[in-house]
Amino acid sequence: MTNILIAIVVLLLIATLVQILRVSELLSEIKNKDVNEVTDEDNNTQGVLFLIVGFGFLIFVIWQMVAWDHLLLPPASSVHGIQIDFLMKMSMGLILIVFFVLSPILFYFLYKYRGKKSNKAYFFSHNNKLEVIWTVVPTIILTVFIVFGLKTWDNAMNVEVSESTTTIEVYAEQFRWTARYAGQDRLLGKTDFRFVEPKFNPLGLVNNEYLKIAIKDKQVDYDTLSRNPLKKDDYGRTNQEKMDVLSGHIKQLPSILNEVSTDVLAQSSDDIITREVHLVINEPVLLKFRSQDVIHSAFLPHFRVQMNCVPGMTTQFGFTPTKTTEEMRKDPKVIKQMNEINRIRLAKGKSEEEFEYILLCNKICGSAHYNMQMKFVVETQEEYDFWYASQKNLKNKLLTQN
Amino acid sequence: MSEHHKENFITKYVFCQDHKMIAKQFLITGMFMAVVGMLMSAIFRVQLANPGESSILYNLLPSHWLDPDGVLNPDKYLALVTMHGTILVFWVLTAGLSGTFANFLIPLQIGARDMASGFLNMLSYWFFFLATVVLMSSLFVETGPASGGWTIYPPLSALPQAIPGSGTGMTLWLVSITLFVVGSLLGGLNYIVTILNLRTIGMTMQRLPLTVWALLITAILGVLSFPVLLSCGLLLIFDRSFGTSFYLSDIIINGEALHNAGGSPILFEHLFWFLGHPEVYIILLPALGIVSEVIAVNSRKPIFGYKAMVGALLLIAFLSFIVWGHHMFMTGMNPFLGSVFTFTTLLIAIPSAIKVFNYLATLWRANIRFTPAMLFAIGTVSAFITGGLTGIILGDSALDINVHDTYFVVGHFHIVMGLSAIYGMFAGVYHWFPKMYGKMMNKNLGYIHFWGTFICAYGVFFPMHFLGLAGLPRRYYTNSAFPMFDGLSDINSIITFFALAGAIFQTIFLFNFFYSIFKGTKATQNPWKSNTLEWTTPIERIHGNWPGELPVVTRWAYDYSKPGADEDFILQTEPLKEGEVEH
Amino acid sequence: MDIALRHTVKKQLLWVALAAISMFFASMLSAFIVEKADVGNWQEIILPVFTIDWYYVSFDVGYFVISTAIIILSSFLLFFIKPRLTKGKPIFGLVFIVLILGILFSYCQIKGWQQLTNEGVYLTGAGSNVAGSFIYILTLTHLLHLVGGLVGLCISTIKSKQNLYSISNYLGLELTAIYWHFLTVLWIILFAFLKFY
Repeated sequence: MTNILIAIVVLLLIATLVQILRVSELLSEIKNKDVNEVTDEDNNTQGVLFLIVGFGFLIFVIWQMVAWDHLLLPPASSVHGIQIDFLMKMSMGLILIVFFVLSPILFYFLYKYRGKKSNKAYFFSHNNKLEVIWTVVPTIILTVFIVFGLKTWDNAMNVEVSESTTTIEVYAEQFRWTARYAGQDRLLGKTDFRFVEPKFNPLGLVNNEYLKIAIKDKQVDYDTLSRNPLKKDDYGRTNQEKMDVLSGHIKQLPSILNEVSTDVLAQSSDDIITREVHLVINEPVLLKFRSQDVIHSAFLPHFRVQMNCVPGMTTQFGFTPTKTTEEMRKDPKVIKQMNEINRIRLAKGKSEEEFEYILLCNKICGSAHYNMQMKFVVETQEEYDFWYASQKNLKNKLLTQN
Repeated sequence: MSEHHKENFITKYVFCQDHKMIAKQFLITGMFMAVVGMLMSAIFRVQLANPGESSILYNLLPSHWLDPDGVLNPDKYLALVTMHGTILVFWVLTAGLSGTFANFLIPLQIGARDMASGFLNMLSYWFFFLATVVLMSSLFVETGPASGGWTIYPPLSALPQAIPGSGTGMTLWLVSITLFVVGSLLGGLNYIVTILNLRTIGMTMQRLPLTVWALLITAILGVLSFPVLLSCGLLLIFDRSFGTSFYLSDIIINGEALHNAGGSPILFEHLFWFLGHPEVYIILLPALGIVSEVIAVNSRKPIFGYKAMVGALLLIAFLSFIVWGHHMFMTGMNPFLGSVFTFTTLLIAIPSAIKVFNYLATLWRANIRFTPAMLFAIGTVSAFITGGLTGIILGDSALDINVHDTYFVVGHFHIVMGLSAIYGMFAGVYHWFPKMYGKMMNKNLGYIHFWGTFICAYGVFFPMHFLGLAGLPRRYYTNSAFPMFDGLSDINSIITFFALAGAIFQTIFLFNFFYSIFKGTKATQNPWKSNTLEWTTPIERIHGNWPGELPVVTRWAYDYSKPGADEDFILQTEPLKEGEVEH
Repeated sequence: MDIALRHTVKKQLLWVALAAISMFFASMLSAFIVEKADVGNWQEIILPVFTIDWYYVSFDVGYFVISTAIIILSSFLLFFIKPRLTKGKPIFGLVFIVLILGILFSYCQIKGWQQLTNEGVYLTGAGSNVAGSFIYILTLTHLLHLVGGLVGLCISTIKSKQNLYSISNYLGLELTAIYWHFLTVLWIILFAFLKFY
């Protein structure tokens, strides 16, 4: 019923517009004028409008910068991030200057040179000197920014791994993150996706215990499927196809294990799996990223860290955090932001929240792409040691739950 | 060809080989798809402003796209975003813009009877039409249309288990885009060969209007880059339907480990963006070509720096082939490669800047006539300045680390590619409407349309930069899942308000367009007092464009307000006066 | 449009189309290079051969090598069309032979695929490898484009039987010949690539 009413209203509006147009055309005919001819008055109106709306737009831009400045990310909490923030300030400064010079020129010219029948334009077809000037000057300015930018990029991307670097693997899947710490030996164990078993080995670590678990798990799946080989699933794949893949993988598992040397195998035995990441302030960390299914992207906006997680390869990003979570919670800018956030949350009936560093997914990965998060905590060495100690038990717990 | 062959409805309107009719077919189809794409954006903007709530606009969607409470499904949100991007980038701004204006203007502005091959030209439209039908049909499939973003990265787009839209919907998307690319290539062949061979006597390359230069270079870009999308899509089709592993490796989905090994999703990104980047210039260059023409005519002055403008077009086209990696800074590529792409990307800012300065110099000491077309041409210049500048931030790999895939990118490309190109398209429609339909569009409705659109568009896209700098990722169904984004809900509401208002202003254009075709005031032969050849053809359009001999060209296209001339314009066919020097 | 211009235009249309097709294959070859460099589990595949014993000579040759010889021969023969037409001699036989060679080429391609499968190189499925898949895709897409050439040759064969071509107007045949030469050059590049890279 509402749809019919809406349709009737729209039709009436159209009919009204038609009548208004017909009337204006008839009136012009009577006055012997062309309704669509652009007159000096029109030029005047439009020229003035450009001045008003144009400068209104510039004021709108300034208003946004002032009104929403407090919503932007707080200053970076990492070493390379501080360099990025500086480059960002310089670059933003540059483009804002250019914007606030060129746009007013544009709008002013439109006003100043609004047409009059009695005027004549100035036949000025080219000027090579000008062309050279406005080619060379931007080139020089941009070259400076390029060089600066490349240095910053180099610092961010080329990570020096030292004795004190903690390596943590961040594993992405639809729709959650899992972290793996390297344990006492500071080395991450080898993984292979064919070893993955959701309950005991979600990350696919390779060693003898996990070999047995993986084979058993795949065998169970195989047997379940073999009861009805010709059945097709929703995606058109038959159970037989899946059984072939499973048997192929079962055959491959032992040889994958054999290819790994014994000392590398030992590396995984002390790896620790967690669902949140704790970091020590001012200590370098190297994050290694893997994905289980589709492309995800690990985005840690407060640290100025972002890296795609691609199935079939390992990517990485190294950084050094410079502010603890506690320090952030005491920072006035952050407090102001959190107050604003909590005010809105309470108004919507949601609970209040404290500031937390967070990892988000930043590459479209499926339905719950908008809700893939993991908490990051930066703390002192003592606090970290305390947390870390409590994690060790978890791993043993998993395995004894055979 | 001035043969008078008997025409019936089918040969005159449907399977027509006349370039002017084909242009209008592209235009109408493009406009239809623009409305569809715009409605999609209105719907998902409503979801973003009021997450988790129902809305009257959702009634436009198939019912299984909503949950029982009438709230939009998250994966159907992604479907809307994907289809919006696909439709607007390819259907509206490539086919709708190039297809319309290249077909309409090229023979007319170079003084030719028609395109090199009317038959291939007709085929190019019908491939496009078929592609449209296939794409639209994917909206009605049970599992939904493609949902992996218009960039369709595998494995998401390769595995139906990863998101429903990657099933039948994605297959239809691939079929549709194959048909689309074939149609585009057929058109591009014609444009290039026609411009190179069928120029009339006296129409040297240096006397070509900038519009034709832009369309020529665009066509070359298309011929060299669209086939790469075909090969990229072909490998994806094989991965999806035939079990190959070009892009897939080490995947566990739905608890099942897949057999694929050895492939790389990054290969897809390389192939895709090898087309993807030139594609944005395929969209932009025709708009800039149109704008050059409209600004010159309405400033009553030559376009400033004709040679520099052509040079800038060529430089942009060349550079566009070596910047694709700036879409891939965060893929874990070798940092050195990232540096190379930063360098080339910032280089491409230079010819773009040259064009802007030349437009400003054209306006200096002009005698500006503000037709609706001129307003939109100015809109393009403004959007190009605003959007182009944020490109300097994104092109710098170090800065891209924190803004990649956030709303900062969304704001940037909508302004520099979306607004610049769509304003260029509007400018073209308003300017050449008298030539296409023999009638004038209503001027006052044009003014209202422009100001409404200009204000609302900046209201929609400028705030997005702040969302991006606050860390908000794109393609998020809602911003309410993370406390850190709760503070951004006001900005989201403002954006949605302007989006809906802007959408309503477009109805004025649609009304004006269709009303004027039937009931508009009759146009004169050269209402804008322009120099170019298309305005020397009769008002009632005929096959073969000119009733007698083809025009002979004696000068370039920009003798406006030339000192010593009687009027403030001189047609390109006007012979030089005694003592007059050609520019 | 006068005849000479129409001919120039149609040929240029074909050249531009060939540029587009070249980009299609160039991008697939780039994909091949990238995928190979990306150390995954790339298998070095040697194109299979079989031994021919011919009188006292015995050599190893594969179906793809034979195809190469066939297509080069067919292109070579096409060069005789212009001289024959100038002298007013009939060309039906020549065109027909080229068509047959084209069909033979296609047959050899298919046999080549069969041989690959026998040697355990598959296009798809659990036993396949990306390297193998590329061999199939490259040769398959070339063959599909070749089918277009065969269509052109069929039409040219029929028209030459009806003596519709003369030295001043053999545009259709010219276009088919240009396209056919393109396919030959493309095949040589693809084959060399697969054999030596």
